[in-house]
Amino acid sequence: MKTEKRATKASPKLARPAPLLPLPLVERLLAAAGARGAEFAEVYVERATTTAVSLDEGKIKSAQVGSVTGVGVRAIRGAQVGYAYSDDLDDEALLRTASTAALIADGTNTVAPQNLSRRPLPTHYQVKQPLRDVDVARKIELVKQADAAARAYDKRIQQVMGGYADQTRELLIANTLGHFAEDRQDLCRLGIQCVAFGKNERRTGFFGGGGRVDFRFFEDFSPAHVGREAARQAIATLGAVAAPAGPQTVVLAPGWSGILLHEAVGHGLEADFIRKGTSLFAGKLGEKVASELVTVIDDGTVAGGRGSLNVDDEGNPGERKVLIEKGILRGYLYDHLNAQLTGQRSTGSGRRQSFRHAPLPRMTNTYLAPGNATPEEILGGVRKGLYCRQFGGGQVDISNGNFVFEISEAYLIEDGEITKPVKGAMLIGVGPEALKNVSQVGCDASHDPGLGTCGKDGQSVPVGVGLPTVRIDNVTVGGTGA
Amino acid sequence: MNSMETAIETKSAAKAPARLTDVCERLVELAKKAGAGEAEAYASRTRESSVKVRDGAVEELQQATSKGVGLRVLSAGRLGFAYGTDFSRDGLKGLAESAIALAKGAAKDESNGLPRGAQLGFTRGAEGDYDPAIEKIDPAWKLGAARICETAAASVDPRVRKFDSTSAGDFLSHSAIASSRGASGESRASYAYIHCSPVAEADGQLQTASWGDTRRKLAALTHPEQIGRVAAARAARMLGARKVKTQRVPVIFDPQMAAGFIGGLEAAVNGNLVYKKSSFLGAFLGKRVASKTFTLIDDATLAGGLATHPFDGEGVATQRNVVIEEGVLKRFLYDTQTARKAKARSTGNASRGWSSLPSIGSSNFFLAAGDLSPEEIIRGTKRGLYVTAMLGRGADVVTGDYSRGANGLWIEDGEFTHPVQEVTVSGTLLEMLASIDAVGSDLELRTSTAAPTLRFNELQVSGA
Repeated sequence: MKTEKRATKASPKLARPAPLLPLPLVERLLAAAGARGAEFAEVYVERATTTAVSLDEGKIKSAQVGSVTGVGVRAIRGAQVGYAYSDDLDDEALLRTASTAALIADGTNTVAPQNLSRRPLPTHYQVKQPLRDVDVARKIELVKQADAAARAYDKRIQQVMGGYADQTRELLIANTLGHFAEDRQDLCRLGIQCVAFGKNERRTGFFGGGGRVDFRFFEDFSPAHVGREAARQAIATLGAVAAPAGPQTVVLAPGWSGILLHEAVGHGLEADFIRKGTSLFAGKLGEKVASELVTVIDDGTVAGGRGSLNVDDEGNPGERKVLIEKGILRGYLYDHLNAQLTGQRSTGSGRRQSFRHAPLPRMTNTYLAPGNATPEEILGGVRKGLYCRQFGGGQVDISNGNFVFEISEAYLIEDGEITKPVKGAMLIGVGPEALKNVSQVGCDASHDPGLGTCGKDGQSVPVGVGLPTVRIDNVTVGGTGA
Repeated sequence: MNSMETAIETKSAAKAPARLTDVCERLVELAKKAGAGEAEAYASRTRESSVKVRDGAVEELQQATSKGVGLRVLSAGRLGFAYGTDFSRDGLKGLAESAIALAKGAAKDESNGLPRGAQLGFTRGAEGDYDPAIEKIDPAWKLGAARICETAAASVDPRVRKFDSTSAGDFLSHSAIASSRGASGESRASYAYIHCSPVAEADGQLQTASWGDTRRKLAALTHPEQIGRVAAARAARMLGARKVKTQRVPVIFDPQMAAGFIGGLEAAVNGNLVYKKSSFLGAFLGKRVASKTFTLIDDATLAGGLATHPFDGEGVATQRNVVIEEGVLKRFLYDTQTARKAKARSTGNASRGWSSLPSIGSSNFFLAAGDLSPEEIIRGTKRGLYVTAMLGRGADVVTGDYSRGANGLWIEDGEFTHPVQEVTVSGTLLEMLASIDAVGSDLELRTSTAAPTLRFNELQVSGA
């Protein structure tokens, strides 16, 4: 509600900067892309400016900036897609690019591009000053402070690697349906990795955060906190025993553990897999696919969220979608093409890494709605199990639903108490089975601090995840211990 | 100077692209003029083209060219780096200014420096294959190849009816480097590929497999029919997969999975991680870490290799590096900066694209073939797991831990009995290396990181 109000106030009066590409040229490109009978043509213009700072061995190793501008042109006829792109921005090169995309169709009728019209957009970002305009010295300072805090935490922290990166990405998207959208998507991330050296062992810790936020975000989310938390994880796991192997009851700490949903169900609900029938969730709308405690939401409208989108990379507004409601499968994630082919509506899920890629249906911020249990109740009820506090990455096989999920900081639970740290733990399961085994959901709703990047078909996009404290029974833990 | 510029402009007006080395040299000169102590430019231009098919029809046609240049400048040990795609004079000037401004704000680091003199070079015979036939592949050929592949896959087993994707494509790249220290070089590479991911379905279970081939010469590419058949057979044989009990058993990695394991070791021999005492192999130089059958090589000069190249990302001549020889750890991989810190010599392993600074990376990185056929290895296994697909990152070279999700086939008395899924295999990397008791003879350099079939004497399998 609040965000919509702010948007209506801001949008009509402010003078707009010149579009990334002159509109008459955009219209000519659309016409050229549709010239051989495509039913739909689209022009995507992107200017991405990136700053990256990296620190190693206590020194700023490098600071770098880069800027890339390019245009992607897509033509669609039925289920057939032609895609071409160019980083040469002169009219002739761009028209050639549009004609290449047009080759997918082999007819002669032209789609008449409709008059381009802007749609009013809300804003889900929390950025005043574009991140590219923030002095690089301030970015360097963030990483140095985080490094110092990590080193000061404990003298066994002997290696610290830090990085800060941001991007200011400006988009112009226009298509032959007459849709026209412009957006500026800023994104930043600060991350610190530490290695703690113990007797004959090394343990690592990683922490960081960011999002589509103003640089002032780091006044509250302090670099010192980031450094200390990374150091804490590394020190806490020194002396860890081997993780138990085999089925266990696990309790997941809130936040980044949401990667469980991302892998176990999220990818399997993306409409390309559904249309091709290659996901185990295809054809299961209305069926029970999880415990009734499980409500999964993909929400592109989270304020400042890493995966949030005013518009997706096809010009459709970001949305909040309920994917699973009390265990029942309610919806899939649609991009334009897959929605069109299956008689559905885009859910604002068409995303791409850059102008060099055709869009795919993707997640934005994916989280589990909170339940009623307190975290204390959940932990207290476990006689023997594994408490997973920090997490690495994950991966899923869409077809058989097998997913894995790395645990970077875990502890044994004995009689409701957290005891020894364990190392080398990994969880493996099959999506719907794991979600049917969710037996308690905490009231402590939580989002990750803004770290996630999701890969699919060679394309990386920023995403958010979230999970309250959750208990799952009978999960296979891959470890080496008894 | 003036006449050269005119020449370039005339060319670009005629739509012939500016020579990449000229772009690099010009950028270095601009950076020097703007006050850089040392400067290095690395540029590349690529062309990619692909066709995806579904049910015999085109699903997606993609074609594009792309280019970019990155500039590294050093002034009194201070480093700045900037990149962009605009090769115009103003574009290059802007890059030089950005990089120099960043260097001014950077901290001094004595290990920063460009390679020079005898380190620089071009390894004759390691140019790598560039096949003009790939340049000329037309979309109809790719469409035909992908169709043949899909049809072949669909004819293997009635349970294989769906596809995640089937594609054929080509990729051309052209890179150049120039530096104020005398680096200079140009190289080209061509690749053609066919790839297929069919999905098999029975009794409500879906199983996918992924198979393909990539070559630098078109004539060397595996027939699309063969690729489709192998892909479909790999998917179909996984139907009915189930968990097995948690147990310790011998585990065999097929060549693809063995390549993944070898790839995990790449970071463990990265000179920078070793220097920072962040590799589990760091303390083992000159020591035995595996049995005599284990020889691990990084070779950028390998004839026919996918990653064969004459100079690395900072213009250092490439070479063959024997990393582990008959089980003994012999060498770590270095770029110039890390070599300087570690008092070692660059091994020609600076790896990069135009939008990034060089960092240490492998080239053709492979485990030498042993003398057992894969059939002998399987037959010689009384009971164990044959792994054909994995999930997750696996190796953590800092801690030395390894744990990955695994799918594959169960072995009893030397024969495959049933498919397996939803299990993990885990161990510590040092124990795993020591436990390798069979290396297959089936090494094929299908990917830049490659290995033959491998057997671990015993690993932890976690399941039910």
